[in-house]
Amino acid sequence: MKQARSWLLLTAFATLGSVAYGKPAAADKKTATDTAAKADDATPKDPPKDAKGDDTTPKDAKDPKKDEPGGDFDVCQITPDLPGCKGGATAPISGPGAGPGAAGAARKDVEAEVYAVQQIYALRRGRFEINPYWSFSLNDQFVSHPAPGIAANYYITNVLAVGVNANIYAGLNGDSDFNFQNRRAARVAVPLNEYQWGANANFTYVPAYGKFAAGFGKFIFHYDAYVVGGVGVLSTRPIPVIDPDNRKFSFNPKLNFNLGLGLRIFFNRWLALNLEVRDYIFQEQLENMAVAASGVKDCKNCATDPKTWNGETSITNNIQAQLGLSVFVPFSWKYKLDK
Amino acid sequence: MNRKPNRIVALLLAGTASLIASSAFAQENQIAGPLKDAPPVRNLRMYREGRFEVAPSASFTLLDEYRRTIFLGARLQYNFKDWLGVGLWGGYGIVSASTDLTEKIDQKSPRGVTTATQISPDTNGGFDKQTGRLQWVAAPQVTFVPFRGKLALFQKLFTDTDLYASLGIAFVGTQERGACGDTTKAGQKSCSDPGSFALASRVAVAPTFGVGFNFYFARFMSFNLEYRALPFSWNRAGFDQRGTGNDGKFPDQKIDGEDRTFKWNQMITLGLGFSLPTKPTIGN
Repeated sequence: MKQARSWLLLTAFATLGSVAYGKPAAADKKTATDTAAKADDATPKDPPKDAKGDDTTPKDAKDPKKDEPGGDFDVCQITPDLPGCKGGATAPISGPGAGPGAAGAARKDVEAEVYAVQQIYALRRGRFEINPYWSFSLNDQFVSHPAPGIAANYYITNVLAVGVNANIYAGLNGDSDFNFQNRRAARVAVPLNEYQWGANANFTYVPAYGKFAAGFGKFIFHYDAYVVGGVGVLSTRPIPVIDPDNRKFSFNPKLNFNLGLGLRIFFNRWLALNLEVRDYIFQEQLENMAVAASGVKDCKNCATDPKTWNGETSITNNIQAQLGLSVFVPFSWKYKLDK
Repeated sequence: MNRKPNRIVALLLAGTASLIASSAFAQENQIAGPLKDAPPVRNLRMYREGRFEVAPSASFTLLDEYRRTIFLGARLQYNFKDWLGVGLWGGYGIVSASTDLTEKIDQKSPRGVTTATQISPDTNGGFDKQTGRLQWVAAPQVTFVPFRGKLALFQKLFTDTDLYASLGIAFVGTQERGACGDTTKAGQKSCSDPGSFALASRVAVAPTFGVGFNFYFARFMSFNLEYRALPFSWNRAGFDQRGTGNDGKFPDQKIDGEDRTFKWNQMITLGLGFSLPTKPTIGN
């Protein structure tokens, strides 16, 4: 009885093993042609998976006879051009009539997990991107406009997103020493402006993606490039240069349009380094370069009248470079098709 | 007030660096089995190794105060390895255009006693004639290519790419207002003399570095986009700005080396590279 129980256990163990490998005994007889035909099937016939969804089938278990002398695996049916196959003529990999090249190739392990089409590394569709960044001005040699900012985007498709971004410039504008030098030497003042905040609604389009091998090929980094554009508001005011004793400007929001280019380098599937250059275009209000004389235009002390402080307006490009991190949520997702 | 942004930038950079360090390893090839230790790419096109490259280029200076320059030039480079090359980048300024500020100063700056040593009289060509110019640049350099890869555009056009960094020493031919006002030196004019606003040539030596992309749209041809910086001090306006007073920050009625101020000279370069031999080596 005890012996019978042992045999039963052994049989059950063996059965479990074959179930786990997903290869009934009859599958051993399958030809390579069958295998090749099924490889094109977009929805595989449920090979056993481990927790990560990887095919765990050991190679030997998949086709135990392929290396056996006299086995009927015919590699030339898959690759007729293989040396030894003689222009498509089928030849067994071993045994009588087998070419040396074919036999050698057949002895090599078949890697069943190399895919003709790789999945996109980081899918964007249906995910939110949170992008905190630091930005600084590229084109204003008179006043620097560094600003922390944050952007949030939602990807409607894998290449198109809608979102918003905001910058806080207040307290960070830097009047360059060069302005002072210039005023002292040339006796010419240049109207200066500072920014308070900006907020925009944007569309993002991702036309390009690729990957880099880094560290001499050891690591692979995926990246994409995108175009962003939108409309928003930028709050600015002139810095009083001509008559700072009397003039105190307050911030006023202005309509702005923006257009930019960006590059994201993915560290993993949800975190990326973000580099962007964006041009915020708006109509700027400049300081009046002359001080109004008193008693003119119905005002007793015109220099203190705010109506006399504003000068001309000018279309201004505020080109900002941004460096930040992109965090995509949810962190993981399910591909529509298996690998 | 200036400390605050610096601290935030430092924190952001430190955070980025730590995330790079921790996450980069997550990308390491985890393949086990027969492909373990196999090369990630077979038949790799070695676009650089053993090839000589000639890349005509146009460079556009950025954030200029008084004068913009467009250089026509070229990069000549020999690549010992796919990731390492040595060469020479150079250019000649074919366009040197005044900025809006220069024109404003020319039009609005009062000519009189207060500006006599600073602004050239209209009869002498005006302010435009005294502003400094970048005439030519020649920079022997070493180029590292730590990243190579590929790019899909609109999911239809595919191109091989690389990201590189160059480091070298630049010899920059500049023209800036000549020395004046030092009466102890023979032949020097007073700085209020109209003749003192003439430009003098000088070769400045500066470090240079560049970061750029190459896009290989054919096996022997590539498109190149590069950012380059050449930081050094020069007198761009021709002003007498320093030399006396507290910390020497007040005009001393002389034009000399002390009036040169530091400038992060920077430019964007577009180039078209041709590689020889025309066929790249194919890796195993």
